[in-house]
Amino acid sequence: MKILVLNCGSSSIKYKLFEMESKETVAQGGIEKIGMKGSFLRLILPDGQKVMLEGEILEHRAGIEYILGVLLSEKYGCIRSLDEIGAVGHRVVHGGERFNSSVLITEEVIKMLNDCIELAPLHNPPNLKGIYAIQELMPHTPQVGVFDTAFHQTMPDYAYMYGIPYVLYEKYGIRRYGFHGTSHRYVSKRACEFLGVPYKEQRIITAHIGNGGSVTAIKNGKSIDTSMGMTPVEGLIMGTRSGDLDPGVITYIMEKEHMGTKGITTLLNKFSGVLGISGISSDMREIQESILQGDKRAILAMSTYNYRIKKYVGAYAAALGGVDILVFTGGVGENQAITRSDVCKDMEFMGIELDEEVNKAVRAKEMVISKPSSKVKVLIIPTDEELTIARDTVEILQG
Amino acid sequence: MSGIIIEPIEKYGLTISADSRSKPLFSKIGVVGAGKEGRNIINMAATAGMDVVFLDESNERISFVLGELEKVMDQKITGWGLTQSEKKVIMNRIKPTLEYEDFKGCDLVIECTRYTESGRRSTPLRKNIFKRLEDILDTDAIIATNGSTIIISELAADLEHKERCVSLYFPVSHPDARILEIVSGMYTSEEVYQKMEVFARLINYKPHRINESNGNVSLRMVATMLNEACQILLERITSLEDIEETFTIIYGQRYGIFRLADIIGIERLVTLMEAMFNDFGQKHYKPNPLLWKLYRSNQLGVRTGKGFYIYDENGNTVSPNKSLYN
Repeated sequence: MKILVLNCGSSSIKYKLFEMESKETVAQGGIEKIGMKGSFLRLILPDGQKVMLEGEILEHRAGIEYILGVLLSEKYGCIRSLDEIGAVGHRVVHGGERFNSSVLITEEVIKMLNDCIELAPLHNPPNLKGIYAIQELMPHTPQVGVFDTAFHQTMPDYAYMYGIPYVLYEKYGIRRYGFHGTSHRYVSKRACEFLGVPYKEQRIITAHIGNGGSVTAIKNGKSIDTSMGMTPVEGLIMGTRSGDLDPGVITYIMEKEHMGTKGITTLLNKFSGVLGISGISSDMREIQESILQGDKRAILAMSTYNYRIKKYVGAYAAALGGVDILVFTGGVGENQAITRSDVCKDMEFMGIELDEEVNKAVRAKEMVISKPSSKVKVLIIPTDEELTIARDTVEILQG
Repeated sequence: MSGIIIEPIEKYGLTISADSRSKPLFSKIGVVGAGKEGRNIINMAATAGMDVVFLDESNERISFVLGELEKVMDQKITGWGLTQSEKKVIMNRIKPTLEYEDFKGCDLVIECTRYTESGRRSTPLRKNIFKRLEDILDTDAIIATNGSTIIISELAADLEHKERCVSLYFPVSHPDARILEIVSGMYTSEEVYQKMEVFARLINYKPHRINESNGNVSLRMVATMLNEACQILLERITSLEDIEETFTIIYGQRYGIFRLADIIGIERLVTLMEAMFNDFGQKHYKPNPLLWKLYRSNQLGVRTGKGFYIYDENGNTVSPNKSLYN
């Protein structure tokens, strides 16, 4: 059976078509700049050839129609009829408290998703547009929603509550939800498969670090805490997001800089983090280059970034009552040896012994990077959110 | 391996074809005259993702306008309200021109020719602009003017498709005053009005439906209030500062009435009040002598650096303009 996975952003759609029996990716690509000038669909053919299809793509529906058109086409396609696609799996950013696992999309689910828009005004509407488009273009194909927040719904209440009046939780659902759930779930499970240990009996910390990032504590297969909160600004220092911040600082900045809610939101989401501290870039590769040239603020940005991850690892070791496995994933987590090295430095007291040589040599590959003597197994597991979505979709279809 | 293959996407549509593709409303709009208000419209429309063509009288003027647009965006960047790359994208949507032909394909063109120094606008000139726009635009494109005096029916009168004309007023009092007064003239069709409501929402304004009347609603209320405040000042009942505080503290306004008059522009208010006095014959619309005094001495408010207040080059108040009433 073939499963189409769609990840609809505000002006982009990423897609992958999987052949589930062989777990092969048979087609993949993405659309960018929906509703803007210069929109295009780019795809990578199985032989690695890159193709760009340019033209006006005004809305998500048109984008999805073109994706299906390309999949059906003789030149670049791989299916003869849309019936070959057994189901469509959608990444949905925010499932609020209503969704603690992936679901088959029904009219009722769509209604509930609409109710979640307030929690993720930027992300959920495009996710819904993707669902509507498939409903229209492939009315008989089942659709499944896989939520970024669902995996973290197992967090106990004392981990997800903020220390603010309870009435605000009741009124607006203000609490910690967490994100990147699909990735944390995949890499933690995969790490156990890779090590050949039972998933339901491990204390795991997963660090998904890229341009955005979060750390999750997983006990016996369940997320018990994660560093992102109600929105993705909480927690780690990210490419352009501040991460944890004294709330007093926010009101102080607003007063001093005569800033409204919109201004402060942009400041904390787009001008902070690594970019804000370094003044150079949000891209860690550029930060590393500047560090080589001795740039002090680049060094500071890197140290602050790494230190925050280390603090979370420490905190979650306490929450878990010890750690068996530490997983690094995401663009930075898979590729940046220095961050992994900094995080694991001087952690022998809690059983983390990184093999520096192995760590330095490896990039984006499943690999144990701790010494054989290390009590905690440290691993790199490249994340594969799309494959997880496809698998969930199959699981739900098969009941 | 060869490089990237590039092809047009259209033939991969299932139901979409070149003919069935409906043009999205307001994908491209035009602005005639890029004074302060014109620039404001250009900026908002481009920020909302529309392509904007603007026409001004010379190349020097065009570079000035582009410079000013950049300045506003740079200020926003320093205030962390915009990123460099967002600015680049927005500036990319803005195309200057000296030729009316470049308005071809616009769904909406807004006439914003500037006030002359004396504060008047030339009706024959504006009529001519409307005519030239009609020659170039598709029949369903909307032609709008930016203003607050009764004019739209007059400007529309000579056109073939009069129903496409509408008048808009973007309040200038402060950046959050995001209500768009949409004025239907005698000929304006309901369809055109409805489209303008869509436009308002696209640029994040709340539309207000106004029937043609001098001063619309926002300026008509300010005019009488301002006259009364000037009279209180003339009668020396209290100080300018205290009148301002009455507004800001008792009535919770963002600015005092005199500061507001300086922001809106004395020339705009005087011309408008004159027109209202002529229209309605009510004495309370007649511009107060203090307003005339400012108008005749070209102290027109923030724009000229002097009005009820004296301003520095950044438009911040330095002190009240004591020479006015001492």
